[in-house]
Amino acid sequence: MKTALREYLLALADDELILGHRASEWCGHAPILEEDIAFANLALDEIGHASLWYSVLAEIEEQDPAVYPDRLAYFREPQDFRNIQMVELPKGDWAFTIMRQYLFDAYEQVRLEALSQSGYEILAQVAMKIRQEEFYHYRHSSAWVRRLGAGTQESQRRMQIALDELWAYTGQLFQPIAGESELIQAGYVIASENLKDKWQDKVYPTLIESSLVIPATPQLHMNRQTHTHHLEVLLSEMQSVARLEAEANW
Amino acid sequence: MMSDTQWPRFQVFVQEQLDAPHQDAGSVHAPDSEMALLNARDVFARRPKCVSMWVVPTEAIYSKTAEEILNQPPIGTEQSASSVLEPAPSEKYHVFCKFKHAGTQIQVGSAEASGPAQALEKAFEKYSSHHKPLVWWVFPARMVTQSDPSEIGSLYEPAQDKMFRMHTQFHTLTAMRDIEQSKGRK
Repeated sequence: MKTALREYLLALADDELILGHRASEWCGHAPILEEDIAFANLALDEIGHASLWYSVLAEIEEQDPAVYPDRLAYFREPQDFRNIQMVELPKGDWAFTIMRQYLFDAYEQVRLEALSQSGYEILAQVAMKIRQEEFYHYRHSSAWVRRLGAGTQESQRRMQIALDELWAYTGQLFQPIAGESELIQAGYVIASENLKDKWQDKVYPTLIESSLVIPATPQLHMNRQTHTHHLEVLLSEMQSVARLEAEANW
Repeated sequence: MMSDTQWPRFQVFVQEQLDAPHQDAGSVHAPDSEMALLNARDVFARRPKCVSMWVVPTEAIYSKTAEEILNQPPIGTEQSASSVLEPAPSEKYHVFCKFKHAGTQIQVGSAEASGPAQALEKAFEKYSSHHKPLVWWVFPARMVTQSDPSEIGSLYEPAQDKMFRMHTQFHTLTAMRDIEQSKGRK
């Protein structure tokens, strides 16, 4: 059970951490000042959510919750991360960033809604807390998708390219997480593949309303152990300062 | 002619608690009012308390200083020509005033009027006696886009348990120095 919980919590946390890091790369570079502030906030939120999930894991594994999240974020190797590939892809242009954020935010809405009814108390509590903030993320990214999709010819073109590039990766959102069946049996989680219909119900109408075409490309099905080379590059930067001096008190 | 590529500006008003007036917080640029409200949340309510937020297109705000009113009473001024030809229906205007030079515009009440000049005139009659405002703002209530009370939980509450840390709370500089020194010794 502990192994299954570890895999599940790392999946939740690592997605947030890596996406949060990608979002933070816009700090100082977003298209307008207001959005720069908004996106930096959002990056911090995601990293904060990762930290919450790592703390839950710390409790389960009887580790110090003040130290363990940093250990997990900064001292694991790429092959030990359990995030999906979509979040590790380079930030691309603003259209790509917004589209990725949107597709992921919609997924989080669905995943967190299910988790907030978990039979495992702490999972439900943390999911409810994160969900509050994620409502706003979803509003923010969907507002951008509608405006860029139904905006100018150029913004529509870029959004469609982003959607086409990202589509295959969305399959991984609904792949079973290692050990998941054990957690389903315990009443802790619902099957990841059962989240897909709800996600589609959210995403399809918004995309269509935004003058975008749902790609016909098949969605890839990979487990969360396989990563692109982008993760290694991302981590070598993200972890570089912490690894300068493992025991330093920043 | 080069056109202005900036998005329109929206004035942002924040209410800190339910029985308090809305107050001017500053402004944001946004393509439309919904985005303005979202941007305003991040710019002005990331840390401070907030239970309600309004955004109003800055150009919809009719503004006069007390001095301007003294020198040129608002009664039947700018609006008169057009309102004679085409009397606008009466509607609700919000009234905001600034009372100190370093202060902000604070919501003081509202007035029914068929144009901004008339709204200001009525507001002046109603509210000028007690505090001697320095600057008056009036704008039609219909120009306000406001946060949905049911969304307070997701828009503004999460900020409450986020810690605000000054840069001095981080030991980065001293930590870096220690690392440098220990490397130098090796």
